[in-house]
Amino acid sequence: MERTKTHNSLYASSLIEASLDPLITISIDGKITDMNQAKVNITGIEREQLIGKNFCDYFTEPKKAREVYKEVFAKGSVTDIPLTFRHKSGKLTDVLFNGSVYKDENDIVIGAVVIARDISEQKWAIELRTANKELAFQNDEKEKRADELRIANKELVFQNNEKEKRANELTIANKELAFQNDEKEKRAAELVIANKELAFQNDEKEKRANELTIANEELAFQNDEKEKRAAELVIANKELAFQNNEKEKRAAELDIANTELAFQNNEKEKRADELGIANKELVFQNEEKVKRADELRIANYARRLIEASRDPLFTINTEGKITDMNEASVKIIGISREKIIGSDFFDYFTNPQKAREVYREVFAKGFVADYPLTIKDHKLTDVLFNGSVYKDDRENVLGIVVVARDITEQKRIETELIEAKVFAELATEIAEEAKSKAESATIIAENAVKAKQQFLSNMSHEIRTPMNAIIGFTKVILKTELTLKQREYLQAIKLSGDALIVLINDILDLAKVDAGKMIFEQTPFKMEVSISAMLHLFETKIQEKNLVLIKEYDKKIPDVLLGDSIRLHQIILNLVSNAVKFTSKGKITVSVRLLSEDDEKVNIEFSVTDTGIGIDNDKIKKIFETFSQASSGTSRLYGGTGLGLSIVKQLVEPQGGKIEVESRIGEGSTFRFILPFLKTDIIQEIENEILEIDTEIKNIKVLVVEDMALNQLLMKTLLDDFGFDRDIASNGKIAIEKLELKSYDIILMDLQMPVMNGFETTEYIRNTMNSRIPIIALTADVTTVDLAKCKAVGMNDYIAKPVDERLLYSKIISLVKKPVTVKCHGNEELEISKTKCINLNYIIHLTKSDPKLMMEMITLYLEQTPPLISAMKQSLQDKDWSLLHKSVHKMIPSFSIMGISSDFEIMAKKVQEYASTQQQTDGIPFLVLQIENVCNQACSELEEELNKIKNTK
Amino acid sequence: MMKTEKIKLFLVDDDAVFLKLLEIQFLEHADFAIETYATGELCMKSLSHNPDVIILDYFLDGIEKDAMNGIETLDKIKAYNPDIPVVMLSSQDKIDVAINCMHHRAFDYVVKSETAFVRLQKIITTIFRYKKMEKELKWYMERM
Repeated sequence: MERTKTHNSLYASSLIEASLDPLITISIDGKITDMNQAKVNITGIEREQLIGKNFCDYFTEPKKAREVYKEVFAKGSVTDIPLTFRHKSGKLTDVLFNGSVYKDENDIVIGAVVIARDISEQKWAIELRTANKELAFQNDEKEKRADELRIANKELVFQNNEKEKRANELTIANKELAFQNDEKEKRAAELVIANKELAFQNDEKEKRANELTIANEELAFQNDEKEKRAAELVIANKELAFQNNEKEKRAAELDIANTELAFQNNEKEKRADELGIANKELVFQNEEKVKRADELRIANYARRLIEASRDPLFTINTEGKITDMNEASVKIIGISREKIIGSDFFDYFTNPQKAREVYREVFAKGFVADYPLTIKDHKLTDVLFNGSVYKDDRENVLGIVVVARDITEQKRIETELIEAKVFAELATEIAEEAKSKAESATIIAENAVKAKQQFLSNMSHEIRTPMNAIIGFTKVILKTELTLKQREYLQAIKLSGDALIVLINDILDLAKVDAGKMIFEQTPFKMEVSISAMLHLFETKIQEKNLVLIKEYDKKIPDVLLGDSIRLHQIILNLVSNAVKFTSKGKITVSVRLLSEDDEKVNIEFSVTDTGIGIDNDKIKKIFETFSQASSGTSRLYGGTGLGLSIVKQLVEPQGGKIEVESRIGEGSTFRFILPFLKTDIIQEIENEILEIDTEIKNIKVLVVEDMALNQLLMKTLLDDFGFDRDIASNGKIAIEKLELKSYDIILMDLQMPVMNGFETTEYIRNTMNSRIPIIALTADVTTVDLAKCKAVGMNDYIAKPVDERLLYSKIISLVKKPVTVKCHGNEELEISKTKCINLNYIIHLTKSDPKLMMEMITLYLEQTPPLISAMKQSLQDKDWSLLHKSVHKMIPSFSIMGISSDFEIMAKKVQEYASTQQQTDGIPFLVLQIENVCNQACSELEEELNKIKNTK
Repeated sequence: MMKTEKIKLFLVDDDAVFLKLLEIQFLEHADFAIETYATGELCMKSLSHNPDVIILDYFLDGIEKDAMNGIETLDKIKAYNPDIPVVMLSSQDKIDVAINCMHHRAFDYVVKSETAFVRLQKIITTIFRYKKMEKELKWYMERM
């Protein structure tokens, strides 16, 4: 063991001694305890001297070395500490120190071992590196300088180029100058040529001048000739004058001869005239002869007539003596003709004085007419006298002619007439009395009718209002939770209520028809569908009674017809319910048949046949009367009030139809009626009774105007069921107040209310408030209230109480739906986007927002563009392509100035191109239109801008 | 040698908007004396004012067919005084139109656009440099 230890230590020490690196062991206090040969070499001091010395003494920096070994003891090791050994001779060696503590077997630190590595070489290397780095850096700097120099050179080169260019330009300028000079020379040359030209022109002028002198000489010669001709002409004229004189002399002589001839002719004419006159005289004489002959004939004829006349005719002379008479006068006087002639006229009258008067009057006035006298003869005859004077050709009065007319007969008639008149007056008086009585009776009757109507309507209102409540609330309760019994009882109540309402409606309808207030509508409806729906109602009843319902429908009937479907419904309802009521076994047949058809209308025959008890023939008429059934026992046995058939009759006949009955006791009856319907093309979608609550339109705000609390409650419940928002107002005034505060979608307006009734309220809403809100009239009173009156004040619709909720719902929906779509339209219209087409940025930039300049620019554009637009349009119309080209060309710069989108510029250029190639494509008008539109829009926008600028100024 | 005076400029164009535009632009930059005419004839009448530069639109017979168009006006100006530089303007950018103008001895050809003004400015500067050089040359030639 010891040997190995020693062997080991020997081995170790030999290793240590072999190392070239100086190795030192240092004690804790820094004294060298041991070292190797290398160390000795490096310090140059002998081993024995080294031991015990301070470690740090052999360094250039003893302090640093001290720190090193302190660090070693502190940390336990140290690496790569650079230090410098000082050799005894002075040589310095750079080294790196590694040191660490070493411990004994008990791990106690004995000392530190320190090993040095010679780094002189490295140091040198490091120094070299540093030097290289420095060199490299220097090179970089040099390169940078070189680059800069290069750039400078380039710059210089460039400058030189510039100079060259300038020099070139100068040469060019010089050339240009030379060229200009050439031009000048050319001009000078041209000028010379021009001068020559001018000289030539002058020569030409001289030639012309010469020619002109020659021409003048010629002219002088011509003038001489003319003078000679003139002299000759004078002589000729003198000759002519002499000739004329001769002619005049001849003419004078001729005149004299003519006058002589004229005189001769006059003489001849005078002779001729005298001859004519003589002839006329002869003719006249002959005519006179003929006239005489005629007069004689006429006189004879006249005489015969006078004699034939039964009226006595006298001729009386101026003294009153009868000169002539006819046979009738002879007869009436009863004396012979010869005796009468010459006698006094008035002798023959009962009243001679009066007769004398007569003929005096005739002479005075010239005539007398209808003078009553009485002829005295064997019987007194009353006559009327007509008398007149008669004259001869020379208007001299010869006498009077008097004609008498027997008036005994007339007198008799006259008396009878007077009697009759008296009777008639009496009768008239009686009649007038009767009339006044009748009038008062009529007034009483009318009043009675009015009272009846008023009574009926009041009754209807009074009956309907509580009925409304009964039925309404019954319906409401039926919708809630009920026990079976409760439901049963309520159903019974509802049935009764319904029956009651039906009855009331019937009565009112009758009353309406009676009053002549029934109006039949003409709306399009589908016949087949309507009839099927009606008959559907009876199915249960029919099944209950074990009857069979047969429906016959003619397929030829047009699908849609114009008519009053509700009334038709009523008629058929009544007939079928009668059929059902009075039939206990068998079948009921309802048939609808097309009877005749033309272009405008169709006649349809409806018939209801049953196998019931039948009707007695003599009762048939009676059954159509109001309140009467076939027998007094019918009501007791079969129920009914006797109104149905009379209503049917009142409904069929005013529509232009006819109703007939055929019946056999015990076998059954057939009721048949024919109605005309107009054809129509309108295919109408009928909104039928089955309406589902539209969940889309839910939030409708309804204002209910109704004074009766009961009805208010009912409406509230109904509307809540529908899910609408509702407000209640007790009268019109409150309703208006509510309207002013809140806006509603629809108003349900009762008509009879205190303070302000439905009509007044509606008028106020429509006219004063100017609201178009839909208003539905609620009324219990359907007789005196005219739908027209409702519409006149501005209501949109009406609904009768008791209110059928489905009907109400459908009406509300239909009225509220319309405005919604209108609103949408309104919005859309507003939303037409006005995207500006101009962009004033360029102008703003240009004018530096100077308003005056901007206004000038805009004004110019506004002045210039419209004529261009019209020229463009015109040229397109006239197919004047060059004008189109030019006008579009003009517009292009303004597009970019005003910032109009470049699309339009491209469009305009396209148009220009097409126009310039004289080619027409289909697109041009469209493009032109677009350009026009954008220009117009630009103009209007620019005007706005202009105004804006003006206003902000 | 350069007299500082207002440069007399003629603007001939029947598009009033563009004319105004140019006028505004010229007035802003430097002092020019600007006269504007809408037709070739008007311009001809005022040639006695001796403008320094004329800026002429190519398409002068826009709406009235009787007016002279740009080329004719150009010829007439040159006939009157060949020294006045005339710059042609047009919204057409066809090269043959430009060449045609140059044949008729226009000084330059500018297409109407937003940059037209800048180009015109440059051209006018060049014109004046050229004139200056001419004058100098003459001066020197006289001395020789």
